[in-house]
Amino acid sequence: MNKELEHQFVSNLEMHQNIVHKICRIYTNDQASHNDLFQEVTIQLWKAYPKFRGDSKFSTWMYRVALNTAITLYRKKKRSIQTQDYDTVHFRIQAQEYDPKEEQQLSLMYNAVKELNDIDKALVFLYLEDKNYKEISETLGISEVNARVKMNRVKTKLKKILNP
Amino acid sequence: MDELEFLKRDWKKQDGNYPKLSYDQLYKMILKKSSSIVRWIFIISILEFVFWGILTVCLADQEYWIEMEKIHLKGFTIGLYIIGYIITFYFIYRFYRNFRKITATDSASVLMENIINTRKTVKYYIGYVLISTGFTGLVYTFFTFKYHMASMEVKNTSLYEFDYTQWLIFIGAFLVFMLVFLGLIWLFYKLLYGILLNRLQKNYKELKRLEIEN
Repeated sequence: MNKELEHQFVSNLEMHQNIVHKICRIYTNDQASHNDLFQEVTIQLWKAYPKFRGDSKFSTWMYRVALNTAITLYRKKKRSIQTQDYDTVHFRIQAQEYDPKEEQQLSLMYNAVKELNDIDKALVFLYLEDKNYKEISETLGISEVNARVKMNRVKTKLKKILNP
Repeated sequence: MDELEFLKRDWKKQDGNYPKLSYDQLYKMILKKSSSIVRWIFIISILEFVFWGILTVCLADQEYWIEMEKIHLKGFTIGLYIIGYIITFYFIYRFYRNFRKITATDSASVLMENIINTRKTVKYYIGYVLISTGFTGLVYTFFTFKYHMASMEVKNTSLYEFDYTQWLIFIGAFLVFMLVFLGLIWLFYKLLYGILLNRLQKNYKELKRLEIEN
């Protein structure tokens, strides 16, 4: 690998690392797995980087590769061990203005998201990231209509989890 | 759905609360490829062990042992196998340890230390293979000559006696053959592990450069 490429990649990653952190937050439950996933995503991004041609934005490309890695790893893990330990402390990183009621509501919401499957998590994540359906469909490699349908299903699922 | 909107608001609020890794920290992460190289060294060492193991078992049939008995090397050969296996196991264990250590660390200095250790272990291993091959080659040749010739029934032994120069030529030829043979083994290992070691070395230099800059 040449030096220039390495430098370019790491600078880009440094600038957009929040994306990876946020994906880790959606897909992991504790700090250790967060770090593991972060590292794995970084390595996968770096491996895929030579193929990144710059016809899309770095961040757009990053969303795609990072989400793919998270989904793949999530599936592998699910096959081996399934321990769901809802660590709300980790999930709710920090509450600026503490409002017990709001806080509780949020915590319930985050837990509900955790119960979704890997693809639904990706949809919610992109939704939270303010992506429109076109961007969502491109990132996940599905059609725009499909993205809309899936998103609606996710909303229903969330409602069901929250109000059983 | 207002719940999701509500969540989105909170999600955005927390944008600044994520860890911020520095350029160097991220850079070190991509150098983590060292661990996969060390894993390959470990895997190759096991494959190699299995290969030699199968070969030995296949070659060591009854005839082989009778032949060994003839040249009085049966005990020696068995001992050699045992010692050989112990030493090889030891090296496999070392490769495994290196691999575990390298995957378990985040610190650059530990990583560097492990790279050096791995390179050293591989070098010792190649050294061991060369020395042991050379040594056994010498012992077998010597015993074959000593006992094989004694067991042969030759009427006119003088025909088979070497004079001084013939002995010199024989020993010289033997040494050259041995050197070429060992050279080939060395070349083989150089190719097998050399590529991996070179990559490790490159990673090491990178890490070193980062250490100096900081």
